[in-house]
Amino acid sequence: MRVSTDSFTNNFNYQIGQLESQQTILQAETTTGLKVTLPEDNPGVMDQVLNLQGEASTNNQYQNNISQVQASANTASNAINSLQTIVEKAGEIATEAGGVTSSSQLASYATQVSQLLQQALQLGNTQDANGNYIFGGTDTANPPFSATTDSSGNVTGVTYNGNTSLAETEVAPGLTVSAQNAGENNTGSGASGVFADSRTGADVFSHLISLQQDLQSGNTSAISSTDTPNLTKDEDNVVTQVSANGVLQSTLQAAGNTAQQNATNFDSEMSNDTNANLAQTITQLDQTQTAFQAALQSGAMVMQLSLMEFLP
Amino acid sequence: MVGLFGTLDMGARSLGVQQEEMTVSGQNLANVNNPSYADEQLVISDSTPDETPIGDEGTGVQMTGITETRNPLLDTQIQGETSVTGSLTAQQTSLQNAESYLDEQITTTASSATPDSPNGLASDLSNLFASFQGLTDDPRDLSLRQTATQAAQQVTAQFNQVSTQLSKVQADLNTSVQNDVASANQDLNSIATLNQQIVEAQSAGGSAVQLVDQREQTLENLAGLANFSATTQANGAVNVSIGGVAMVTGANAVNSLQAYDPGDGNLLVQAQTGGTSITLTGGSIEGEITARDGALATLQTGLNTLASQLITQVNSIYSAGYDLHGNTGQDLFTGTNASDIGVNSSLVNDPSEFQAAGVSGAAGNSSVALALGQLGSQKLSSLNNQTFGGNYAQTVSDLGNSISSVNDNLNNSQAVAQMLSNDRTSASGVSLDGEMTNLIQYQKAYEASAELITTLNEMLQTVVSMKTS
Repeated sequence: MRVSTDSFTNNFNYQIGQLESQQTILQAETTTGLKVTLPEDNPGVMDQVLNLQGEASTNNQYQNNISQVQASANTASNAINSLQTIVEKAGEIATEAGGVTSSSQLASYATQVSQLLQQALQLGNTQDANGNYIFGGTDTANPPFSATTDSSGNVTGVTYNGNTSLAETEVAPGLTVSAQNAGENNTGSGASGVFADSRTGADVFSHLISLQQDLQSGNTSAISSTDTPNLTKDEDNVVTQVSANGVLQSTLQAAGNTAQQNATNFDSEMSNDTNANLAQTITQLDQTQTAFQAALQSGAMVMQLSLMEFLP
Repeated sequence: MVGLFGTLDMGARSLGVQQEEMTVSGQNLANVNNPSYADEQLVISDSTPDETPIGDEGTGVQMTGITETRNPLLDTQIQGETSVTGSLTAQQTSLQNAESYLDEQITTTASSATPDSPNGLASDLSNLFASFQGLTDDPRDLSLRQTATQAAQQVTAQFNQVSTQLSKVQADLNTSVQNDVASANQDLNSIATLNQQIVEAQSAGGSAVQLVDQREQTLENLAGLANFSATTQANGAVNVSIGGVAMVTGANAVNSLQAYDPGDGNLLVQAQTGGTSITLTGGSIEGEITARDGALATLQTGLNTLASQLITQVNSIYSAGYDLHGNTGQDLFTGTNASDIGVNSSLVNDPSEFQAAGVSGAAGNSSVALALGQLGSQKLSSLNNQTFGGNYAQTVSDLGNSISSVNDNLNNSQAVAQMLSNDRTSASGVSLDGEMTNLIQYQKAYEASAELITTLNEMLQTVVSMKTS
């Protein structure tokens, strides 16, 4: 093969160019630690990373949602537990009052019940950390319960201003839960009412009001025959609410654990897809540099050789 | 018998030939770095012998011409490969531009060690749907409404920006087509002129190697712009036709290329005379058209479909919702495609108008926000059963595939071009060492011829002194 002066420099330039570009790629991989940065580097990996990124973002939002709902569920749990105490206390009063004839004793019971009624009313208008009423269904902006009182300050009626629908929040793909509760549901369908529900016969406020009135009027027979069984229904309903809240909390706990696990998985998948094998990359960089050095050295040697060096 | 004077004459001619050899060598050395130059040689032969009774007697050497070492097959192959490289380079440049405008680049940042692409539409879209989901946490919260509105604005801004920049890439490609067509026409004219000069020079019996070199360089330049077929005529002219239309016939540039607008603003190429539309298969003009109507158009269509689906799907859910004041029926997104998608301006000014609730008057109702959030993970038949994010990721990776295949082909083409160029320099290139050796040889031959003349001069003096003595 005839080698012209151009042949050598042409080839030399081409080979140096190839080695330089390979060196640049490996150098970039080493400094960023990534083997894929642009879509053209590996379209499949890019597709995967963008999808994973989207899923990770959704998952991250699930985690936010879970902690928000958890906060509201805790508030609701505290309120429902307090309500349980109130209803139990009222039940005890009703049982005890059945055998009491002293009017002063009955009046004292009536005062206690009236206090319990006020407390229950307060619980019914519980707000979460964001100022939303948690027992008004989706009507979170207004106090769900309002009371009417008589001239002597006794509560004579409690009206429910909320609704029976609940807004759902997604906490896992396809799994929605609600941080809201219906205070009252007498429609016979939908979310169960915490304070009153026609399906269980529970109606905390009207039962407390009737107990209070019976105590005031000394109608002990009505207390035993009507108020006590009614309060038992309220107690049962509240117990159901406590366990429903427990189920919600454990669902959130499980969803939170899954989301946490998923977040780790997404992270590691994205890293696995894109991370360069540094040991391999650095070894290759080393090899390329050696080849580059050898090419430069041999090129310099060959280019120095010319007949002109030897002519007198 | 040639005689003393005849031999003297022979020596003189020999000196002339050695001088000419030196000139040709000098020309070769001067062009050692000229890539389209072909090594030239002086063609010499022994001059017509004298017939003498003792047989033919040599009369020395004569020059018959200057030739160059040119392999027409290699030249044609190099022209073909130049067209391929030209096309692929044009595609690579414009598609990489489009790629950089998408801004999907995987990085790790100080805040997130997980490699992701934080700047492009992909993250904007996932933020949008996440912000809809977030709104369900507390639909009454104005700051969450603000976040969702801003996420929507970010998505539309990114769509608009990418769309504008891709349109600019498209416009640049059209300008390039126009410029390259003008350059190609110049080359065609030069080829016709050179043809004329070559035919004239050769018919006068002269050498036209420099002109042939020039024409080869022009042909290769043209090949980079548009692929053509060339046929060499017996008289030395080269006829050029592009896409089956004759452009140069002999000394005449009979036709030229013209960039024309078929109606959509995307320039195509036709013959200036006759208006035959020309489908190129190589060269940068073809590369520009292919990139523009291929991967770039696919990308633009993909983004427009995505934007228009986002507008339709989001609005159909959103418009049924109610804002904090009980109003309904507004759209979240305005516009029809990626270039004009926008966010309802009155919502931007007042996030309480975000229609998150499914019913009027229930501030805690977020069923519309939930439905919007869940839209993000829904596979839509109008998007090939992909989610919004999935469809976009597909669009990005389609572009990546196009570039990656152009990159591979370009690497191959460059390797082939390098090989062909090696073959040609091996056959036609100048070798400094070879020329230096020749120089010494010619110098020695010149010295020898001079010595012959000196000797003859002495002999003639001897003859003349015979008379005087």
